[in-house]
Amino acid sequence: MAALAVHLPLLLMKLPLKSYDTYFHIFFASHYLHHWFNPWNTKWYAGFSQVTYPPVPQQWVALVSRLVGLDLAYMLVQMAAILLFVVGVYRFAKLWVSPRAASYAALASVFLGSESFLVYCAGQLPTTFAAPIYLNALPFLFEWIRRGGWRSYVKATILFTAAAAAHHFTLLFGSFFFALPVLALALLDRENGERVSTPSFIARTLAIVIVVGAAIAVVLLPFWIALIHYPVTQTPIPHPSRANYILSPEWGMNYFVVPFGALALALPFIFVRGSMVTRLRPLLLGFWVAFLLGLGGTTPVGHLVLRRAFDVLTMERFSYWATLLALPFVGLLATELIDRYRSRAAVSLGVLAISTCALAVSWTIYHPADPEAFDVTSVAGWLNRDGHDQYRYVTLGFGDEISRLAQLTNAGSVDGEWNSGRMLPELTRYGGAQLTSAKYYGKPGLDSLRAILTHADHYGLKWVLVRDHYYDPLLSFAGWRPVDKLDEETITIWSKDGVPPATPLNSPQMPPHWQGVLWGTLPFGSNILAILVLFIPEERQQKARARYRFASEEDLVPGRMAS
Amino acid sequence: MRKGALLAGALGAATVALVAIGTIWPVPEAVAYAGGQSLMPKSSTPEAAVRNLGDEIVLQAWDKAYDSLANKAEFTEQEFVGDIKGYYPNLRSYSDVDHIEVFPLHASANDGDVQLKLYWSTVVGEPVTTRNLHVVRNGDRWQVEWPLVKKTIVPPQVIPVNYLRWDVIYRGAGDDWGAQDVEAPHVRIVDMHPVQRAEGVVVLGELLNEDVVPAYVSVTATLLGKDQAPLATEGSFDKICHLLLPKQVTPFLISFPDASLSDVRSIRMTPFSTLVPASADPVIEIDSAKLNPAPDASLTGQLINQSGQVVNVAHVLGTFYDSTGHVVWVADQYVDHALLPQTPEPFDIHIPEDLARKVSSQRTVVASYVAGGAL
Repeated sequence: MAALAVHLPLLLMKLPLKSYDTYFHIFFASHYLHHWFNPWNTKWYAGFSQVTYPPVPQQWVALVSRLVGLDLAYMLVQMAAILLFVVGVYRFAKLWVSPRAASYAALASVFLGSESFLVYCAGQLPTTFAAPIYLNALPFLFEWIRRGGWRSYVKATILFTAAAAAHHFTLLFGSFFFALPVLALALLDRENGERVSTPSFIARTLAIVIVVGAAIAVVLLPFWIALIHYPVTQTPIPHPSRANYILSPEWGMNYFVVPFGALALALPFIFVRGSMVTRLRPLLLGFWVAFLLGLGGTTPVGHLVLRRAFDVLTMERFSYWATLLALPFVGLLATELIDRYRSRAAVSLGVLAISTCALAVSWTIYHPADPEAFDVTSVAGWLNRDGHDQYRYVTLGFGDEISRLAQLTNAGSVDGEWNSGRMLPELTRYGGAQLTSAKYYGKPGLDSLRAILTHADHYGLKWVLVRDHYYDPLLSFAGWRPVDKLDEETITIWSKDGVPPATPLNSPQMPPHWQGVLWGTLPFGSNILAILVLFIPEERQQKARARYRFASEEDLVPGRMAS
Repeated sequence: MRKGALLAGALGAATVALVAIGTIWPVPEAVAYAGGQSLMPKSSTPEAAVRNLGDEIVLQAWDKAYDSLANKAEFTEQEFVGDIKGYYPNLRSYSDVDHIEVFPLHASANDGDVQLKLYWSTVVGEPVTTRNLHVVRNGDRWQVEWPLVKKTIVPPQVIPVNYLRWDVIYRGAGDDWGAQDVEAPHVRIVDMHPVQRAEGVVVLGELLNEDVVPAYVSVTATLLGKDQAPLATEGSFDKICHLLLPKQVTPFLISFPDASLSDVRSIRMTPFSTLVPASADPVIEIDSAKLNPAPDASLTGQLINQSGQVVNVAHVLGTFYDSTGHVVWVADQYVDHALLPQTPEPFDIHIPEDLARKVSSQRTVVASYVAGGAL
């Protein structure tokens, strides 16, 4: 109820539409809405394959949009993910701490800064959609490893697969930060003084790793095929989450203070309690590694551990995972503070939680993703009339609005926002990201823009829609002419004479029909299956969990250590 | 208990140590975002003082950069910024400093000279600003004396405007862009010459507007292989003057990176022209053009804006001929200062060493960009 009370009004206000990536996911969803079984999208990069991004959250948005439209469908799917998230945090925390502490952890998750940051500022639906599925799978993994039982095995397998179908990175890195600590806990855990035997542990671990690996390989087969044939070898693109947050405090604010909020005050407790209590040590280590990686370039850890991936991944997801791993500790801390200080503690914790959530939600106002957001309807209307959509276009100075424009227009662009999906050599060679923001990427960005304009004839690129006069000299000297103005002359349309109409590029990256059918069936099917298996009743041993020992203050008494 | 305390202490200490290491010796990605800065001691040498100033210019931290100057009392911060970015909108207004280089020239106990090179990332051209800076010791730190170039003030005057202008009346609102009632202006390639260079094949030549109306022009070249199959197609992009008044000639240069002339049997040239409205204004005079021999062969001279309006960006295209009058090279330069009325602005176009010996004459044309141009 708390999650509904906090997040439903914000989502119904469509606050995530101000975020960085929300329109990007809506754009992908709009393609699935019209072409569920054809992942080849011609609206960006003169054609690109959507199998380069796991599809499930966007497919859910596409499906729900048939009832309520794309924008509201996105909000409803995000709301469902948040509700699932609270449940997932409770179930995950209950592995480590008492049910009461887990309840506090779940309540804290409603106000978690990193969750609100990703939902309202970053617009990372897949990450916030996959994490709850993953968290809900972990207790089944524990049950399977600890006691066996086919129900837990089936549920864990299907939920892990569903999580990967929503966001592959969550599963890949989650295995290290979440699953390894849970496996260690299963090994450490004693029931009636007995541990799981080592052969059973190894056999069960191998059984689930192999089957989950195989299931993910099949469900995301088109993704793996695309990745193997066209690995991401393009020049890395800078991202401020890799900055040193002390040397660049503005990014420290964005990627540390806002996501962590008051949770940062709990860091000493996490380190001390996580070290003191044996069964919490795996969780602490998982948290610590995720925490260090989430600090981006503040420490050399990300650069050394992730190597090239450090230049490809964005680091805020590690902070997100670190805060999820911290939540059981937060629940534990809340329990102890409330036991000791009663209402004073409850009020203080409430104020801190609400402040954290408020800062993260409002951060999109104080630090907007696109400070000059504007309506692209008139631009889309211009492209859609008088045969203008026979040619391709590129925007300059449109920021994150290019996803919205792509959703509204029939014309294709040579630009886009999905860097890993682009294959045009003019875009991958230099190290710039979106052409529309070329100047912000310095020389690489401008080199990339010049390269694509040089080949305008080849791509049928006739229109350049300009909302930033910075680029006017380039267009003028390269032979483009202003031909129209829109939106009270804030947008100038430049044209190049003699450009032939755009033709479909015969791209080798175009997935065959059978891959389109798989893409439209298996990932979404895995989610449906995940919902269905949750109706299988749990095993009776679950009730025995009530007798387990949980990490609390009494664990600190010398001589009673589990170790 | 002791083991737990030890672990907590170790993790906490490791975290603090890693943050300290990452801040004192930041990883390259973090350095880039901090504008080349770290927590290392600052301005302890003349070179460090200039480097810090350069980093602040890269970050556009004008307040900090201005405050760090030894002679800031001699000018305002606005003048300092204007000296770097340009007092009038120009090429550097459409640019940011991409990176810097610092070269110590001379140093003594109390002062020194250091050269600062600012490499701009611009939409066109690749300008580099070089400044020789005097650095003085002030207590335990060094400070730069910025050699400010004062703003050029154009004296009040009346400039008569008397130029040709061509207007075009189109069919109507329903026209497709580019579809016109009139025949395209007649243009002709008067010279064409492929050259093999280290970076690939270059096709250069000249295009003439034979018509009595202005023309928007471009040239596309297609390399054909031994079997007459197309190998590559490229356009002239900005290595051409796209607007040609009647009887005007423009050079063009088309690059085919990584191509080899030995694979090419023939070249298909496709000139394109369309009628556009145009005016002869602004008129830019090329004064004192001079070919300088190798080494460091170049074409130098100065541009004088004869009109009454400011020309924000000028593009100088030089065509170089051998003794028989054939084009041997085409080179260009974007002038990074605005052209004020009647105010000379120098240009310097580099000529490749190996071609400089063949050059016996040149012809220079100028294309210009004026902010807020006509639609």
